[in-house]
Amino acid sequence: MMGLSPIEYHPWNGKRTEHGRRFVVIAESILRRSIGSRWFLAVLIIGTFLTFALPIIFTAISPHEGLVAEDMASQLNNGVFFIFLLILAALVCSDLIAEDKRSNSLVLYMSRALDSEGYLSGKFLGAAATLSIFAFVPPLILAVTTIVTQSGSDYLSSVEVLGSTLVAGIWMTLLFIPLGLLISSLTDKKTYAAVATFMIVFVLGIVAGLFAENDVNWMLLGPQLVMTLSIDAIYGVDLPDGMNAWLLLLACIAYTVIPMAVTYILLKRRE
Amino acid sequence: MEEGKSVTLDAKAPNTIEARDVTVAFGEILALDHFTVDVPRGMIGLLGPNGSGKSTFIKTVLGLVKPTGGSVTVNGLDSSVQFMEIRDRVGYMPEHDCLIETMTGIELVSYMGRISGMTKNDSITRGHEVIDFVGLGEHRYRPISTYSTGMKQRVKLAQAIVHDPEIIFLDEPMNGLDPTGRDDMLDLIDRIARSEKSILLSSHILPDIERLCKDVIIISSGRAIVQGDLDDLMSGDRERVRMTIRGPPEKLRSFIDQLSRVCAVLTVAEGFRESIVTVAKVENSSEIFRLAKTEGVQVRSLEPDRISLEDVFLKAVKGVA
Repeated sequence: MMGLSPIEYHPWNGKRTEHGRRFVVIAESILRRSIGSRWFLAVLIIGTFLTFALPIIFTAISPHEGLVAEDMASQLNNGVFFIFLLILAALVCSDLIAEDKRSNSLVLYMSRALDSEGYLSGKFLGAAATLSIFAFVPPLILAVTTIVTQSGSDYLSSVEVLGSTLVAGIWMTLLFIPLGLLISSLTDKKTYAAVATFMIVFVLGIVAGLFAENDVNWMLLGPQLVMTLSIDAIYGVDLPDGMNAWLLLLACIAYTVIPMAVTYILLKRRE
Repeated sequence: MEEGKSVTLDAKAPNTIEARDVTVAFGEILALDHFTVDVPRGMIGLLGPNGSGKSTFIKTVLGLVKPTGGSVTVNGLDSSVQFMEIRDRVGYMPEHDCLIETMTGIELVSYMGRISGMTKNDSITRGHEVIDFVGLGEHRYRPISTYSTGMKQRVKLAQAIVHDPEIIFLDEPMNGLDPTGRDDMLDLIDRIARSEKSILLSSHILPDIERLCKDVIIISSGRAIVQGDLDDLMSGDRERVRMTIRGPPEKLRSFIDQLSRVCAVLTVAEGFRESIVTVAKVENSSEIFRLAKTEGVQVRSLEPDRISLEDVFLKAVKGVA
C-alpha cells in the first residue's frame, strides 16, 4: 500500500482563520448535507408545492389590492405548512447531535479550537439555514409576488406586511430547532430523535386542545398553537379573547430558550 | 483571510509539555493524582496499565478535562486559559472509533482541517496531501462506514495531522491493526517524527515504543512514576554483564562451570549450541576470553546487561502497586 517511494510528511504554511468564525464550517456542512439528502429534498419539494407554489401562481394571475396581513397570517397558519415544517425540522435536527454521539465524533470537534458554544452555534445555524429554504424563502417570495402584482397604490402598508413576513419567516425557521436539538442530544439514534420530535409536538398539541376548553391559555401548551398565535401577533392580528399576551411570550421562550439552554448544559456535561 | 490570534510560543523550550501537581477527579475516582511531568521534544512513549490516567492526561492537556488542581503548560501556553491556542497547535488521534461514518475519508479530513482554521481551498489540497501520505489511495472517496479497521486508523491519523500541528497525541494508534498494518503505521509515525514534530505515543505494545521513542513516561495510578531517556532506563544494572557463547553443548557446560569459579554466574539461558549467560561484572574481561579459548567456545558478544522495556515497565508498575 505504501509503494516503493513513500511520500514524506510536508508542513503546511498557511494562515489560520479566526476561532470565532469556525462554527460557520459546521453550519455549511449541515446545509450541504441536507440539500444532498433525497428525503429532505422530497419533503421540501412536496411541501413547497402544496403550501406556496399554488398560492404564488394564483396571486400572480388574480387581481388583488395589495399585501394584507390577515391573508399572510392565514397562509402561514395553514395546517399543511405546519406539518411539513415539523417534518423538515425533525429530519434536519434529528442527527445533528445524535449522530455525533453515536459515532463518538464529538471528541474530534472538541479537540480542535472549537468550544461547546461554537459547536452548538454551528449546529443551530446549519439547521436554521436549511429550514429557511422552506420557512423563510417561500413566504418571502409570496409576499414579494403579491406586492409586485398588486393593483392598489398603498405600497407602504404592503411593505409593512412584508416586514412582518420577514420577522415571521425568521421566527418559523427558528421555532422548532431548539426542541429538535434537545431531543437529538438525548439519544444516539437519529430515527428516535426524529420520531420523538414529531410526537412530542403532536402530543402536546392534543393535550393543549383538551385543556383549552376550560381556559384558552392552555392552548399555549401546544407548539403548533404557539406558532399560530405568535404569527398572528407578529402580523398584528387579534389574539383570541382571554388570551394572555405575556403568557404567549413566555411560551415562545419556553419552546426556544429553555431547550437550547438544556442542550447546552448537556453538551457541557458530556464535554 | 484573517490570521488567528497571535500567540508567542516558546519553541526553543526544552519541554513541550510541563505538568505540575495536576489533579483530576471523576467523582470518587482520582484519575490524575498530583501528576507532575516534563515532556521533552521528540518522540515520547506514554506507557501505563489500563485506567492509569494516560488518556486523562492527554485530555487535560487539550483542555477537554478541567483539573481540580495544578497547572499544565504546552509550549509555554497555559492549558486552562489558552486551550484554544493550544488546540490549534495540537493534533489528537483518539483511541476509540470517532469518525463521522457518513462522510468519505477526504471529506472528513478536509472538514476537520477547516474546523482547525484552514480555508476551504487549503483544507482540500492539504486533505488530499495527508491522505496520500497515510496511504489511503482511492479509498478516500468511499464512505468511512465501508472502511476496514486499518483504513479507519489511517483516517484518524490523517485528521490529526491535517492542520500541521506542532505536537501530536497518538492514543493507541496500532489498535486493531494486523502486523503489516502495524508496521505501516509505525513507519508513518516515524516519518512524521522526522519532520521535527513532537509526538506523544500512548501504546500497550512495548516493542513499538522501543522501536520509535527516545524518551518514555510511565504512568500508574494517576502518577508519572518513571520518566527519562529510554536507553538510560533500559541500560539496567551496570554491575551485570551479559554474554552470548557458542559451541558444542558439553563444552558450553564446562565453560560455564569454569566461569563460575572466576565470577558469579547469575543466569543461564541455554539454546541449541548457544547460551546467554549473565554474570556479575568482572574487573578483567580478558580472563573470560582466556577461559573461552581454553574450553573451546566462542564468545559472540559481551556487553553490559540491558533490560527490556517490559522489565522496566513491570518493575515500575509493580513497585507502585
